[in-house]
Amino acid sequence: MSNISSDDVRAEVKKLWDFLSRKMKSQFAEMYLSSATVFAADARRMEPARLMLVRRERELLGPASSVAAKLGPIDVQPLGADLAIASYPFHLSITRTRASGKRYQSEVPSGRVTQVFQRDEKGVLRIIHEHMSSAEPVSTKELPPTDPPRHV
Amino acid sequence: MKKISSEDVHKEVHRFWAILSGNLAGKLEEMYSPSAIVFTGKAKRSESGKLMAVRRSRQIPGPAHSSRADIGSIDVQIVGPDVAIAAYTYSFNTQKILVNGSKVQINTLLGRATQIFQRGEDGALRIVHEHLSAAAPPAMEKAGE
Repeated sequence: MSNISSDDVRAEVKKLWDFLSRKMKSQFAEMYLSSATVFAADARRMEPARLMLVRRERELLGPASSVAAKLGPIDVQPLGADLAIASYPFHLSITRTRASGKRYQSEVPSGRVTQVFQRDEKGVLRIIHEHMSSAEPVSTKELPPTDPPRHV
Repeated sequence: MKKISSEDVHKEVHRFWAILSGNLAGKLEEMYSPSAIVFTGKAKRSESGKLMAVRRSRQIPGPAHSSRADIGSIDVQIVGPDVAIAAYTYSFNTQKILVNGSKVQINTLLGRATQIFQRGEDGALRIVHEHLSAAAPPAMEKAGE
């Protein structure tokens, strides 16, 4: 099997954000291995990726929600033929719909993420661990019910 | 070369915090691979692990100032014969001297850590990537003399 290249990893990172912003939920979910673990940006504890995916699907992938991300330079650290780490800053604008039906606009101006990619048995790069955080407080405001989702 | 084990990783994580707390003599920078990349608590960008470790070493408290780290359960994923991911929560209580000479007590209560270890050719485990963050901003208060 060929070594993982930095370009391959950067392409996977861009695909991940593209799937999320275009609400392609099954493609987005397939980016994570079933055993993957994540620290979400505002979570106190780590959780299995499958739980994060259920929450993101409910809050971010519905018709009244939206996600827009601007990615900074992506550092890639290859760790052999099957493993690589991607880390980069990002700016995120999201409109989230809570279970109550209320919608919130959040800005993550100084997001940071570490994603560890591993090849699965088919040779596809997928995330085995993710750590998202914000260097600055996230600003959130409630949106009026009629406000349409924001597209950036 | 010996395969990496969960016990090896637990030991290194505890060693890291013991050095950082000033409870164990050791050079923090030696725990990092020369090519290590880290995200520290409030930095907007990643930086070299070695440089950050040198800077952090200068802030390690002396014997007169106690620091305390409490580590939660460490989740270790062995992702290759020589690579493992450690992920855990922590709290860290330490003193810092500000530019004006005053001392502050900093309490990070909801810390979250990801440290990726790789065994080097010399057999030692080193951190190749680190991401430290907190679910809430650290509490700061003026420290007593």
